[in-house]
Amino acid sequence: MEKKDRILEADDVYFTYEDGTPSLNGVSLVIERGKKIAFMGANGSGKSTFFLCCNGIHRPNKGVIRFHGEEVEYSRKGLLRLREKVGIVFQDPDNQLFSASVRQEISFGAFNIGMDEEKVREAVDRVIGELEITPFQDRPTHALSGGQKKQVSIADILVMRPEIIILDEPAAALDPRHTRMVHRIVEQLTQEGITVIMATHDMDYAYGWADEIVLMHEGKVLCQGTPAEVCDNLEALRMTNLTEPAVRKLFRRMCEKGILSAAGKEPGTVQELEQMILAL
Amino acid sequence: MVIDKLCYRSKLRYTNAGEKFAFSLITLILCIISRSILIAWIVLATNGVLIVRKGGIPLFQYTKLMRIPVTFLVLSTLTIVVNISKTPLNAYAVPVGEYYITGSWNSLLWGAQLIMTALAAVSCLYFLSLNTTMTDILGVLAALHCPALMIELMLLIYRFAFVLMDIASGIMVSQHSRLGNKDMRTSMSSFGKMAAVLLVRALKKSNALYDSMESRCYDGKVNVLKENYPVKKKEVWAIILYEAVLCGIAVFIKSGRRL
Repeated sequence: MEKKDRILEADDVYFTYEDGTPSLNGVSLVIERGKKIAFMGANGSGKSTFFLCCNGIHRPNKGVIRFHGEEVEYSRKGLLRLREKVGIVFQDPDNQLFSASVRQEISFGAFNIGMDEEKVREAVDRVIGELEITPFQDRPTHALSGGQKKQVSIADILVMRPEIIILDEPAAALDPRHTRMVHRIVEQLTQEGITVIMATHDMDYAYGWADEIVLMHEGKVLCQGTPAEVCDNLEALRMTNLTEPAVRKLFRRMCEKGILSAAGKEPGTVQELEQMILAL
Repeated sequence: MVIDKLCYRSKLRYTNAGEKFAFSLITLILCIISRSILIAWIVLATNGVLIVRKGGIPLFQYTKLMRIPVTFLVLSTLTIVVNISKTPLNAYAVPVGEYYITGSWNSLLWGAQLIMTALAAVSCLYFLSLNTTMTDILGVLAALHCPALMIELMLLIYRFAFVLMDIASGIMVSQHSRLGNKDMRTSMSSFGKMAAVLLVRALKKSNALYDSMESRCYDGKVNVLKENYPVKKKEVWAIILYEAVLCGIAVFIKSGRRL
């Protein structure tokens, strides 16, 4: 891997909360530009804490975070620079939306990175169109449904056009329609060249979507690799209480029975497997 | 709560907030200064028409809202209108033993004036709050150079009143579904516990909110888009005319009294 592709690096990062609960116990990993990364692991395994370290909300007690190969500077300016490029969509939109007006809410980040009003207006309008917020843009945020709030909270970050977007369990508490919508938005982000990091508990989705899966366990990276590599590590799956994705299990069995051939590319999603069966 | 829901549905929502603000405030001040029953009636009528006809707020909702201050007003004016004295006053007198429950014409008039002007004043404020969203009102305050800190606080309080209310009602439902209100004693203790949890949650929420704002490069100042709805000349002239007429009537009545 070339150095310039390393957009975010963590080197032996330790973090303990003020009340003494240790959260990160030596996280080391490298994230490449433009990749889709799924973070998986039990609740309390340190995913969210690590994300807050990634844009400087938490300062590691030990170890360093590097952005584009440069160590993060914890000065006011350095932090603002970092946060402009690394955006976090928080799990609970109610912790993120602070304004009653959708447009004002979205404009906040854009103003903070120093855009002038004309540009902000353009950027806000564009994001509202892209994320299909137009139908409810004039409603107050407290009258929106959970899914709509999630759309707005993604727009909050997208309006800043960051290089990395971190989504903390974006599909939590969403209905299937909004889950699909979030997944579609995420796909859009990747096509625009934004590096997407997503925490999720949905192995079936992560297996099909991600370029890489990072398994977190008790504040450490248990393993990192392509979905297939991670799923081969049965011990790691067992420790993190995850199960092999259904499509992989099914594909393996069908290969064993000689229905499909294991020689070709393994299917990542149920749809791909369906296509393989239909092609028989 | 009801007001907040209604104002987002009002047909006057997209009228320039500054106009609405000026209209309701100037009318309110005129009502209070003039203390005239005639002006109060005119203001009540115009606000009624504006709110129900122009704003499209259902009549029953509006009358329901207007009924809230009426009880207050009646109770407080009773003390002015009803006296207990040994000598009967000129309006009415009901003998009770040695004393009279009595009142003078002056105090009756004064009471009526108070009730009417107060009702008219309330209707002015209802006009503003039923047709203008909170964010628009904050925009007007910002344009009037209200301190930024105050406006930011109002913005956050308004948003989080709803968040905390959601949490509180959620906790209350879960308490009720576990018989947390089976008698007076338990419901008191449930309520206390709910309040305690609410405080803790509020603190946690505020921390989380601060983190999320910081991660969007928050630097101590909340800068957001201002929504501007165009000022319509016709409306401005109508407001000026209306206020001038009110002013005229007020001056006429005052000078008439002096004569």
